[in-house]
Amino acid sequence: MALIEATNLGKTYTDEEVQTPALKEVNLKIEEGEFVAITGPSGSGKSTLLHLLSFLDRPTSGQYFFNGKSVYDYSDEALAKIRNKQMGFVFQGFNLLPRTLVIENVKLPLVYSDAKESLWKEMAEKAIESVGISHRSNYDPSKLSGGERQRVAIARALVNSPAVIFADEPTGNLDSKSGGQIMETLEKLNVAGHTIILVTHETYTAEYAERIIRIKDGRIESDEKVQERRRAKDQFIK
Amino acid sequence: MRSFLTLLGIVIGITSIILMMSIGQSAQNLILSQIQGLGSKTIVVLPGREPTGPSDFSQILSDSLKEKDVLLLKQNIPDISQIMPIVFGGETGVFENNTYRLSIFGASNLISKIFDLYPEKGTFFSAEDIKNKADVAVIGSKVKDKLFGSSDALNQKIKIKDRNFRVVGVLPKKGQVSFFNFDEVAIVPYTTAQNYIFGIKYFHRIIIETKSEALIPQTVEQIKTVLRNSHNIPSPDKDDFFIQTQADLAQRVAVVTNMLTLLLVSIAAISLVVGGIGIMNIMLVSVTERTREIGLRKAVGASNRDILFQFLFEAVLLTAMGGIAGIVLGGLLSLASSIILSQVFKIQWTFAFPILPALISLTVSAIIGLVFGIYPAKKASNKSPIEALRYE
Repeated sequence: MALIEATNLGKTYTDEEVQTPALKEVNLKIEEGEFVAITGPSGSGKSTLLHLLSFLDRPTSGQYFFNGKSVYDYSDEALAKIRNKQMGFVFQGFNLLPRTLVIENVKLPLVYSDAKESLWKEMAEKAIESVGISHRSNYDPSKLSGGERQRVAIARALVNSPAVIFADEPTGNLDSKSGGQIMETLEKLNVAGHTIILVTHETYTAEYAERIIRIKDGRIESDEKVQERRRAKDQFIK
Repeated sequence: MRSFLTLLGIVIGITSIILMMSIGQSAQNLILSQIQGLGSKTIVVLPGREPTGPSDFSQILSDSLKEKDVLLLKQNIPDISQIMPIVFGGETGVFENNTYRLSIFGASNLISKIFDLYPEKGTFFSAEDIKNKADVAVIGSKVKDKLFGSSDALNQKIKIKDRNFRVVGVLPKKGQVSFFNFDEVAIVPYTTAQNYIFGIKYFHRIIIETKSEALIPQTVEQIKTVLRNSHNIPSPDKDDFFIQTQADLAQRVAVVTNMLTLLLVSIAAISLVVGGIGIMNIMLVSVTERTREIGLRKAVGASNRDILFQFLFEAVLLTAMGGIAGIVLGGLLSLASSIILSQVFKIQWTFAFPILPALISLTVSAIIGLVFGIYPAKKASNKSPIEALRYE
């Protein structure tokens, strides 16, 4: 059973009776442990697809199964629970809480989970360690560089040990060096067993993944394995 | 900073409520303590009809209480331990070149027992002096100072209405006792006051003391019966006298001060409503500003209820803090005003902190947070996570 399975998935936005189809008849399967990049030009529907897959939005047509269960079987509250326990999110704009220490930012998903409060600190510290910024635990995010901030966001995505991490343009706000480090971190997590679904419009970044799904005008244009994967290590050698 | 400014509405509202309550309570305590100066076994009979309102002065003009009433009361009611008629008014007193406007108190020597007045020099006049309409006076401490300065007043003569009154006693400094300042009085036999000073045949008050506090209600009824017989009054609504006890007075004062306090507090409460609207406004701004935070929280697993409670909690915390600040500020202002009143104006004012109203204020301010926070919180919790995350 695939972790993620979509059949004829579609999303049409209705704004003041004007219908705008953003995604049409998308069929895809993603297995546990995969590293998938969804790419395409802006307005192609790649972000809409990510929102549907990550339960941030509901489809208007087709079927979507996560872990074998249909999205229609869950209430909004239940979807929030699944996002909390089985999904992690990394955004382009980091979305860290201002005036809140790094460790507290990382703890945020735990607040909404059923994890015991006595374990929060340990869990957060572990996640921070795995992205290599333990020395920044008690910093205010505003004192950190962009790359470090994004790593805090990754630690936050990791803290509940989710089945899948969704990353929406994680390198979009970063210079190429920091971007490379972020991709290296994601790659490590994938090697450690995390499923990663990455949305990017840069082919360059997409090539870190093992599989690239190209979207155009709301449909899948191509879905293929990457022949020569870009490795983070090469980035540093150059 | 912005939240603080918004909170000022609540702070000012609660401050003024606490201030009003505290001052109201202190004023009530002050008046009640003066009434208690009268003694709990005391009954006062007044001439005329009980005033129905502040502009009803007809009772002052009444001359219904006479010497024979005093005799009848004394003879017919065994529970009366003391009975004393009084007449009063203002007259100028002269000693050598000094003049002073005196409060003349025509009484018997029982005044000493009833009001706990004992001369620090000399003695009270005797029953004999009352019978003889003697020209003798016991004077208050301020009268002594104004007319005699530092020299001895005892046995000196004060001229009142062209009669020379011999000073037989000087009272110690007493201050205000039961609405009457005994420092400014000249107490003379009531017979003398009636005949030679005021030229009247009636009394302004008859003060009666019972043998015990428990006897008051039945004694009041007996007094009514005796006076109605004496005045030939067929029914109670034709009474030409009325009776006050300490309990009556205390109750009446409490009703008036409570009403005034309530009025002032309801005015202050308006500012709470205005403050609440301010809170709603700031919460709405905060919800808009924190749209991305709401989106993020929802993305990482916060349910609508979690977001609703978070914003409600913030609103309640904000207003409760305003409430606490208001209570502290109101308490301090009230303490300051009581210090000024007692130290500068020499009023026997005691600071009273209204604990129950303070607790109610705190609850009310928290409820304001809840009421005015619910709309912004609802708005926050209903935001769609992707739209919230995209918000710039």
